Amino acid sequence: MAAATEGYSPTIALDGARKQRGNLTQARIRWMILGVVIGFMLVGGRLVQLGMVETDQTIEGQARDVITATRPPILDRNGLEMAVDIRVPSLYAEPRRIIDVEEAVQKLRTVLPDLSETWLRNRLTGDKGFVWVQRELTPAIQDQVMRLGIPGIDFITESKRFYPAMNEAAHILGSTNVDNQGIAGIERHMDTESVALLQELGLARGNALTPVELSVDMRVQHVLHDQLVDAMTRYQAVAAAGVMMDIYTGEIVALASVPDFNPNEPASALVKDTFNRITSGIFEPGSIFKTVTIAGALDSGAVRATDQFDARYGIRFGRYTIDDFHGKHRIMSLSEIYKYSSNIGTIRIMQAMGKDNFRDFLGRMKFDQRVEFELPEMRVPTVPKTLSEVGAATASFGHGLSVSPLHMVTAYGALVNGGNYIAPTLYKRSVAEAEPLYERVVTPQTSEVMRYLMRLNALEGSGSQMNRAALGYRAGGKTGTAEKVVDGRYSSSKVTNFFASAFPLDNPRYAIVIMVDEPKAENPQSGTTAGWNAGHLTGRLIQRVAPMLGVAPDFSEALDRQIVPPALR
Amino acid sequence: MIRNINIFLIFASIVMLAGVYALKFSIEGTAAERTALTATISEQEGKLSLLKADWAVLNQPGYIDPIVRRHEAELEIAAVRQEQFGSFAALPMRPAKPDSAAMDALFEAIAMGIDPIDAILELEGIE
Repeated sequence: MAAATEGYSPTIALDGARKQRGNLTQARIRWMILGVVIGFMLVGGRLVQLGMVETDQTIEGQARDVITATRPPILDRNGLEMAVDIRVPSLYAEPRRIIDVEEAVQKLRTVLPDLSETWLRNRLTGDKGFVWVQRELTPAIQDQVMRLGIPGIDFITESKRFYPAMNEAAHILGSTNVDNQGIAGIERHMDTESVALLQELGLARGNALTPVELSVDMRVQHVLHDQLVDAMTRYQAVAAAGVMMDIYTGEIVALASVPDFNPNEPASALVKDTFNRITSGIFEPGSIFKTVTIAGALDSGAVRATDQFDARYGIRFGRYTIDDFHGKHRIMSLSEIYKYSSNIGTIRIMQAMGKDNFRDFLGRMKFDQRVEFELPEMRVPTVPKTLSEVGAATASFGHGLSVSPLHMVTAYGALVNGGNYIAPTLYKRSVAEAEPLYERVVTPQTSEVMRYLMRLNALEGSGSQMNRAALGYRAGGKTGTAEKVVDGRYSSSKVTNFFASAFPLDNPRYAIVIMVDEPKAENPQSGTTAGWNAGHLTGRLIQRVAPMLGVAPDFSEALDRQIVPPALR
Repeated sequence: MIRNINIFLIFASIVMLAGVYALKFSIEGTAAERTALTATISEQEGKLSLLKADWAVLNQPGYIDPIVRRHEAELEIAAVRQEQFGSFAALPMRPAKPDSAAMDALFEAIAMGIDPIDAILELEGIE
């Protein structure tokens, strides 16, 4: 047993020093690896955690691009700014960083007393990262607020649209909302075209956008607006509007309608009656439509410029008789019918042409559809699809159908420019660019007779008031006094007056339509018919704008004789 | 040998470390400068946009017209009338023959030492 025990003496296993050290090193390496792995796992875990967190980018991220999104400046045809972007400070708050809401509210209200106290308190309480307090302030207010030194309140610079011409071109420009998006007028049109896309892509930043050039001449626009505002007081009218077009290019040189609004305060556009009467107002045009009827009849060949018409008696339709306002009641030539604005004569001319041909001609002149134009504010004209005998008779002198003044100026443009219909535009367009768009509506010969008739009316007819003011500028046109429908009847005291004209008629360049709504007599010696207000206004307008447009006055009578077509000499 | 190399390497790394830090700080400085400049530029662009808007307002016919009206009486100005326009075609033709007698008289006077311009200058009070 002992031997056995002896034989089995416990073995003392001693590791060599080298081996011992090796084991220790291995253990250390393992610990190190573990440490490193844990370290990497920590870093990795943190990375994953960071990746999961949604950072609050509402202000520093994309939002900044949107609020500083700029719009291209709008220039008139001479390069004068009509709309520019300005950078204005906007006040925002970070409620989670505000320490004392009550103090912040009291302090802010010392600078911005318009803010409601409860609204502001609710706005600043909470754990939100960003809230607007008030947008588009002035640099002076920014200074004052900064001096208050409230933590969690700061400013950011925003782009804001500014219209230096104030009210003057309001209906052309329209306006933009607080986010710099167009909500009316040409601004809206620009958005539908391209600007919105640019802003979305984030390209519309800084002032790098190419300016948009309009066809409008601000000098002419100013004179027109000035005259219209003047007409409101001079004739105590409820409204006045005017439009002027280059007849060869279709460019709108001026377009205004009062009452209007200030595009810098878009809310002022919501006031009643500030709509654009040129494009979105439709009216019975009255006698200015006779020009269209006569042109159509001449062009159809059914009537010649030398023809005579029986205007001795009123024309009966059942119970109604249509008679003349300035009744002559005799046999009249075509030019006399135009000069005396004879309803009877115009009906006879229309009847010679035939009512269906007349309706076709209205379609050819595009009176039954919207005018192709940039402004989104448009109304569809009301022109009957087929005309009855009575309907055609009243339509021939501009009653029983409603069109916009823009229709009329385009039609007049086509009738005097040699017979080519050209859709109006607010963008710059050269004659070469416009020519492919021409649509022939009447022959050059008809156009020649129309020029003569319009000039004749200025020299001898209802346009003489206009001619007296615009002497030397060879202007001519037609008056139209349309009675308003009051309680289902035509009222003789409430009228809408028009004057449609063109100048200089020896070589016409511009067509104008002026409208004065419900005018009263300027003085006891004057009347309320169109020649006294819309006509005279046109004369004053031409007198002031013709030199700006490079039309020199010429008093020689040879020019007027030249306008007379050979057949009538 | 190795010891020397090590010492050299240690010094080299210290120098490079210092260099890298210097570079880092200078870059940070430049970046800060750039940020400041960007801020200044954007602020100045904002001011410029306001100035441009001001200028556009001052240039508007609608702004100038009332000023002109206010000073109409004082400056004796009025809107141009049609009769005031002229053209080269409206100018009278040059007389067919020059007025030789008057020219002779003028040249003789100058030759005698009397310059008619002197009389005008004297009248105007110009020496």
